[in-house]
Amino acid sequence: MNIGIFLQTVIGGIGIGSLYALIALGYSMVYRSMGLVNFAQGSIYMVGTYFGIIWYAGMVMGLHVPYPIALIIGISLNAMLGVLLERIFRPLAKLDLMFMLLGTIGLGFVLDNLFVIIFGAEGFAVTSPLPNAPLVVFGIRILPQMLLLIGVSALLMVSLQVFLKRTRSGKAMRASAMDNEIASAMGIPVHRMNAMTLAIGSGLAAAAGILAAPIVYVNPAMGSAIGLKGFAAAILGGLGSIPGAIAGGLVFGVLEAVSAGYVSSSYTRGIAFLVMVVVLMVKPSGIVGEVTVEKV
Amino acid sequence: MNRLGIAKVAALVVLGCVLLAFPFIAKDRYQVHVINTVGIYILISLGLNIAMGYAGQFNLAMGALWGVGAYTAAILNTRFGIPFWLNVPAAMVAAGIMGAIVGLPSFKVRSHYLAIVTIGLGEVINIIFVNEQRLTGGADGISRIQMPSFFGFPINTDERYYYLILAVVLIGFFIARQILKHRIGRSFRAIRDDYQAAKAMGINTAYYQILAFVISASYAGVAGALFAHLNTYISPDIFDFSSTLFILTATMVGGMGSLAGSIVGGLALPILQEYLRVIKNWQLVAYGIAIMVVVLFIPGGVMELMRRLRASRALRWLSAERRPEERFEPEETNVSGN
Amino acid sequence: MFLEIEDLSMQFGGLSAVKDVSIRIDEGEIHGLIGPNGSGKTTTFNVVSGYYKPSGGKITFGRKDITGLPAHKITAAGFARTFQNLRLFKSMTVLENVLVGMGPHARTSLWQEILNPIAVGRQEKAFVEKAMKLLDLLGIAKLAEYPATSLSYGHQRRVEIARALGTDPKILLLDEPAAGLNDVESEDLREILVKIRQSGVTIFLIEHDMKLVMGMCDIITVLDYGKKIAEGSCERVSSDPVVIEAYLGKDEQP
Repeated sequence: MNIGIFLQTVIGGIGIGSLYALIALGYSMVYRSMGLVNFAQGSIYMVGTYFGIIWYAGMVMGLHVPYPIALIIGISLNAMLGVLLERIFRPLAKLDLMFMLLGTIGLGFVLDNLFVIIFGAEGFAVTSPLPNAPLVVFGIRILPQMLLLIGVSALLMVSLQVFLKRTRSGKAMRASAMDNEIASAMGIPVHRMNAMTLAIGSGLAAAAGILAAPIVYVNPAMGSAIGLKGFAAAILGGLGSIPGAIAGGLVFGVLEAVSAGYVSSSYTRGIAFLVMVVVLMVKPSGIVGEVTVEKV
Repeated sequence: MNRLGIAKVAALVVLGCVLLAFPFIAKDRYQVHVINTVGIYILISLGLNIAMGYAGQFNLAMGALWGVGAYTAAILNTRFGIPFWLNVPAAMVAAGIMGAIVGLPSFKVRSHYLAIVTIGLGEVINIIFVNEQRLTGGADGISRIQMPSFFGFPINTDERYYYLILAVVLIGFFIARQILKHRIGRSFRAIRDDYQAAKAMGINTAYYQILAFVISASYAGVAGALFAHLNTYISPDIFDFSSTLFILTATMVGGMGSLAGSIVGGLALPILQEYLRVIKNWQLVAYGIAIMVVVLFIPGGVMELMRRLRASRALRWLSAERRPEERFEPEETNVSGN
Repeated sequence: MFLEIEDLSMQFGGLSAVKDVSIRIDEGEIHGLIGPNGSGKTTTFNVVSGYYKPSGGKITFGRKDITGLPAHKITAAGFARTFQNLRLFKSMTVLENVLVGMGPHARTSLWQEILNPIAVGRQEKAFVEKAMKLLDLLGIAKLAEYPATSLSYGHQRRVEIARALGTDPKILLLDEPAAGLNDVESEDLREILVKIRQSGVTIFLIEHDMKLVMGMCDIITVLDYGKKIAEGSCERVSSDPVVIEAYLGKDEQP
């Protein structure tokens, strides 16, 4: 087995895994703060990608906005969408799981098809802002865009942790997530915290999409497949746990890459899911998740 | 017999006539074909309702299980020449076994975890459909499945197939009702209402959970065999997660937790689709909005709507019922047993 | 003896909820379990009824070792319980709630349920008769067809007891059956429990209502901080200084 190829595969896996991790973070954060499983997350990812890429790819009045600016625009626009969505999620969060799932799925459906109407079902390829020639680091070949994806994702994840642990708003968000009632009694505006959570989750999804766009094909259907995997990754790591979402996403990505490279590319998707099922059977709360004792 | 009794009998008779005469009063062959497909979906929805609506088990692999039934029938027929009437029970058993496997995680994981696990397992099954070329024909699917014949009488038109499906759906409905009316149904509902309390009452929850999965999978399996022989061609994309979503939506719109809801939902959705077709692309957007509206305002689906209507004046007049406030006697304050 | 709990311990992580508790219950007894809040009473019940696997100790019922068995097997062995916070089956009527417990005693198999409606019908009739008798015992037979959750709190408590009795238990575990009941209702409860004991069911109950406990228990076990601190007849226990200390020390009325 060629170590170089193996490492390359793993790095590719980390790249895709970062994508999954950013999306999984959206799931876990919203679940933690609102108790809502947001099956529209995949669609939000797709919308965010469009929100950013259209500026960069010359689809708005022929402008070709520089990539970093397009990234920021995309994240901001999607964050605003997140805030708007909080209002819709409020009544959904109170429902039983079945209905909550279906309600968010319906929302995702609406978003997906709205974008089909606006942009057509055909997708398009996006050229990378960085040169296409793979870099060679220690004998391993990596696409510069992949490096960018991993790098910026890592930066975002670290910033998120810093935000949550060190800033006042971050701490308020955590308090609100831990217990809505007490936080409310302490004067923390729970709805605003939830809106912020959704904004962050959506922003991260947008970042994921825009960063991955030059590697992955962009079309309105891109959300559903990724959305499902992101959810699986979040569950794998332990739904509601932020380090869990990151771990789950990375593990899922690496598993996919390694199985595609070494086992069978056609069974890739299946293997990642199977592993998730096995892990859950062994540790029902996920890799990192907490075990709660069910009180009788 | 009071007014409501008469109205009910009359409605049933009319319904019976319509059902029996449908192929003759239908507009064209296509309509009959649509209703045939509706019948198949109703069967799957009945299964889903039993597992999810009554036993509270998230079986989101129904599309894949439907596929297991279809592929079993298709392979047995095209490879080994086995006729329809043997394929149906074979498909039922195959899907049932698969259902038990899908249901195994239900002991250790619950609700959203179980949901994603069953989705994931469904995905794995679908991937097998696509990849095992030699067995399943891969992405090209299996074609030239033979339509059935009944003691030499060929059932090779939509109209004839309609009666077959009608019979199966009716049988399926009554079997479901019979199962759910007594001990099994109560045990299912107990598990759904309060898992721990159910255990405390001596219910072997693991057994009933798997049973729920097996029963629902069996319904999907029979539906799969019916579908394979009706369509004479199957391919993996028919049985993917979006088909599960479709069945889930239909069941919820009709009424999850009520068998009649499966029938209503199975009928409603394709009809809705036909009407929405006019607005083309916006059709799917409207579909999504419709789902959200149902979820937010009428979670019990059409059946709940009807329950609310029953309390309305029109129906009360028909049944000459007293007003709801008068129905429950005031709680006894004198508590000594009597 | 009937039910023997030996050196039972239950640990949650670093917290020791129950430590080396031994209780012996004889057949036909009404045995009380009291103690200040947090002393491990409900945890003990939960272990005995199979929700938790004990960290240590042994539980024997009759001649059977039931330590660590899952809840439904323990019920099958002859235990039934009610819950501190009512856990009725919300979607069912009062009658259906009681019928649930009889399911495990059914003789019909899955196939019979589908194909043999006559046998099923007969069994169902027998079940309903039995259930109505239980509801009658508890004075709520008239409420059989009402949705269980539409009843008053006191009545719902009775449904819970009837439901537990529906499993045909040899011993009934009651977790604070008098919680939330007024004096009249408590007195009625006492009468009902006496009737239940008369029908041959042993009763093991957790209670805070001292009047009820003292009025009907044969033996009382007292727990504090997860350990047994006293045991004996009502007079003995109520005059035991250790018990008084445990309650007074926590500013509670014994």
